[in-house]
Amino acid sequence: MTLPRPRRVALGAGTSQTPEIPLMRLLDIQNLTVSFSQHGGLVQAVRGMTLHIDQGESLGIIGESGSGKSVTCMAALRLLREPPARITADRMVLADVDVLKARGAELAQLRGKAAAMIFQDPMTAFDPSFTIGHQIVETILAHRSARKAEARSEALGLLARVEIKNPAAVLDSYPHQLSGGMLQRAMIAMALSCRPKILFADEPTTALDVTVQAQILQLIKDVQIEFGMGLVMVTHDLGVIAETVDRVLVMYGGRVMEQAPVQDLFDTPAHPYTVALLASIPGRTGGRRRLTEIPGASPNPANPPTGCPFHPRCPVAVARCSQDTPVLRSTAPGRDVACWRAE
Amino acid sequence: MMQTALELRNLSKTYHIRAGGGLFPAVNTLHAVRGVSLILPRNKILGLVGESGSGKSTTGLMALRLLEPTGGQILVGGADITGLDHKALKPFRRKMQVVFQDSYSALDPMMTLAQIVAEPLHIHGLGSAREQTDQALDWLVRVGLDRSYGSRYPHELSGGQRQRVAIARALILRPDVLVADEPTSALDVSVKAQIINLLQDLQAEMGLSILFISHDLSVVRSLTDSVAVMLAGRIVEQAPTEAIFADPQHIYTRSLLDAIPALNPKDRQRRSFISPAQIEAGTPRYSAAALGIPPSDVPGLVQVSPDHLVEAVVTP
Amino acid sequence: MIRYILKRAVSILLTFVTVSVIVFLMMHAVPGGPFDGNDMPVSKEVRDKLMASLGLDKPLYVQYFKYMWGVFHFDFGVPFQSPGETVLQLLARAWPPSLILGGLGVVIGATIGILLGIAAALRRNSWIDYIASTLATLGLTIPVFVISMMLILMFAVFLGWLPAKGWDKPNSWYLPIAAYAMIPMATYARYTRSAMLDVLNKPFVTVLRAKGLSERRIIFQHVLRNAALPMVAVFLPMFIGTATGSIFVEAMFRVPGLGAYFVSSITLRDYPLEMALILMITMMFCLAYLLTDIVYALLNPRIRFGGKS
Repeated sequence: MTLPRPRRVALGAGTSQTPEIPLMRLLDIQNLTVSFSQHGGLVQAVRGMTLHIDQGESLGIIGESGSGKSVTCMAALRLLREPPARITADRMVLADVDVLKARGAELAQLRGKAAAMIFQDPMTAFDPSFTIGHQIVETILAHRSARKAEARSEALGLLARVEIKNPAAVLDSYPHQLSGGMLQRAMIAMALSCRPKILFADEPTTALDVTVQAQILQLIKDVQIEFGMGLVMVTHDLGVIAETVDRVLVMYGGRVMEQAPVQDLFDTPAHPYTVALLASIPGRTGGRRRLTEIPGASPNPANPPTGCPFHPRCPVAVARCSQDTPVLRSTAPGRDVACWRAE
Repeated sequence: MMQTALELRNLSKTYHIRAGGGLFPAVNTLHAVRGVSLILPRNKILGLVGESGSGKSTTGLMALRLLEPTGGQILVGGADITGLDHKALKPFRRKMQVVFQDSYSALDPMMTLAQIVAEPLHIHGLGSAREQTDQALDWLVRVGLDRSYGSRYPHELSGGQRQRVAIARALILRPDVLVADEPTSALDVSVKAQIINLLQDLQAEMGLSILFISHDLSVVRSLTDSVAVMLAGRIVEQAPTEAIFADPQHIYTRSLLDAIPALNPKDRQRRSFISPAQIEAGTPRYSAAALGIPPSDVPGLVQVSPDHLVEAVVTP
Repeated sequence: MIRYILKRAVSILLTFVTVSVIVFLMMHAVPGGPFDGNDMPVSKEVRDKLMASLGLDKPLYVQYFKYMWGVFHFDFGVPFQSPGETVLQLLARAWPPSLILGGLGVVIGATIGILLGIAAALRRNSWIDYIASTLATLGLTIPVFVISMMLILMFAVFLGWLPAKGWDKPNSWYLPIAAYAMIPMATYARYTRSAMLDVLNKPFVTVLRAKGLSERRIIFQHVLRNAALPMVAVFLPMFIGTATGSIFVEAMFRVPGLGAYFVSSITLRDYPLEMALILMITMMFCLAYLLTDIVYALLNPRIRFGGKS
């Protein structure tokens, strides 16, 4: 196993660390594929995904349902059932550990400690039979030998940190007694309990009300900086991307279409899919109006189109797009695009 | 004078929830909707906005008489349908249709799409079986599918396609009023735009009046003519869509607008949130004292500019 | 909780009385009486005298109240078919073999079934899953008397290891209990498997894995606990149902249990025994449901602690 190279990079705005310190590569995935055997067929959920993330960095993965964005995160922590899932990668290293080779206890130590994850629906993310406190405490005790009382007082502090006003009461509550927003805060507290180096957030606000959604996003941003974590924010919502991350990966049909610093992506989108996606956001301007729509539907992962997965819906596609799959190539520092037509 | 397609007058819904056991349990009263009055003008789209538990879906169901109101009146095209029995209601059922968020559970998995879309014609006994199927196939084309979809089943479709079928089924009777309850919330971004455009087009072509229930303010901004904001079962503000977005008056409307994520990273900012206590306290400008109305008459809506109504509050 | 149990006790009493009235009326609505059989022709005078001696000439409601008065003093009368003892004595004599056969059969069958179900759910689509589902299907589709016959042929006739009938020697218990255990084993295996799978597919199990808990802790502390909820609701009443219905097995293996009396009490119009048997089963079901509700409430925080605070 190769060790990650320490690099010297200037940190972007929004991180609390002083610039010019050696950074740790937290996650390095090269050419990841994930497929599921289903009804005799093979569903290709991720088809050659490459991503990396460093300490303190925040990466957004945007894509529609079936684009493979959630599956990528689940694969990084080996949370998919194998079989039916089959994972291959040229390289998949999470916090110095080769994830594909890790087994049993090694994997368990990786999960929760090296990388924590928060999920879409907080109402179903907790075991209904146990109190919130029990579930946070068991997470702490799974990774560290401590007395139960210590773990409990730590859980109390974490709940206070995620801006829960009456942490003692929440600690002794059962999940069904709390609101969605409160549960998502508790979920974040639980994710933070083992000081993870990297935090995966899989659509963390999709199931929440608008006002609660904004508060939870702010909270995630705050704790990311405070704990110096890497953040992977998986979402279908360009608004969430615009609010929270430094760098963006755009996924479509199991492939990366484009990668760019967040401001560049919004200012000068390179891939036709990104262009169309940005144009279709409702509510950008006032007044009743028709929206710019992307015709057609997302590709069927059981039978993806040949060539570029977006070509059947692409306004600028040429003959080549339906035959050759475009590879991700660098167009400027920090910018990659997988398109034959992009400059 | 603007014609009214649907009017709700002081509509309310109260649930009695048994608390505890015993022969005489305590009964808690839950006011899901309290005194909602709304006018949906003909040929317009009215957005009904609120968070979960605000009573917006309950209001929509009551407007359709799919849920019995505890009090108030429902008028369709000027006719009071509140007390009508099943039989008397049937002609009005034709005039009012609904599309829900979850079209998968709203479509019978054992029926073909042609059967699903033709079913309302069948129920109301309109035309021969052949004519019904023909019309259904025409409608599939009209919502952007093609006639070959007629023999398919719901599970073969994507979410956006199913929503198109649900729309075709709702509109095949040529209703005057469509209640759309979060019809785009379960859809992907690129498909959401398709469905919003489809609703816009059909609304214009057919002269439909739509009550569009949604929590998504961005969609509401693109689609609606006017907006009513619901909080805890009551309407707190109502105005033309642009007025709501440009000049929100009620503190809760402001907190909703503040919560919309930035549309460009450069507009990112540290947010300060309006607390529920502040919202409960209301907008001081519209206190009963400031408006010079007796406290016994509040809360109620007061007009602050033409077509712009805001709830007056009791506390100063 | 105590309030709740008291409330339930009242409703059990009401159920008990309702069942007794219905059964009493139905019993007497069926044409014929204890002395109308062809095997024992008696003259009308003798019959009337016999009926009078048993109190059967009185109006129905008098009979009913007299009977119930007895019941509340634990006097269930004398069985017509065995007048040398009281109904209670008959039960005390014939019930133990049935109770042992049914109870052991259910406990053993359920234990094996639950373990099989858990193993099958944890190793989905593996050989153990296939074996479990094959056994479950066989147990549910092959009638008990066929299973009994196969067991007798195998272990008593061909191998000669165990006696084919009787109940007096300890080794005569094996075959009837094994035959009896098949149905609960099959039912419980199927139900446990699906309850386990249901919980295993819940999002919170993925969250538990993502937290880095060991698979053992996830299964034994979280999944089993949640799977137990729907299982409890079905298992206890099923337990009573199977523990009382051992007629076929008892007949096949000549076990001197209660099973035969279920049939004879009806065909012989043995009213006191019939009533006693039905009231006994009713009481057991009522208690089983009460116990189920209590265990369910203890396991489920939603019931223990109510709704949102």
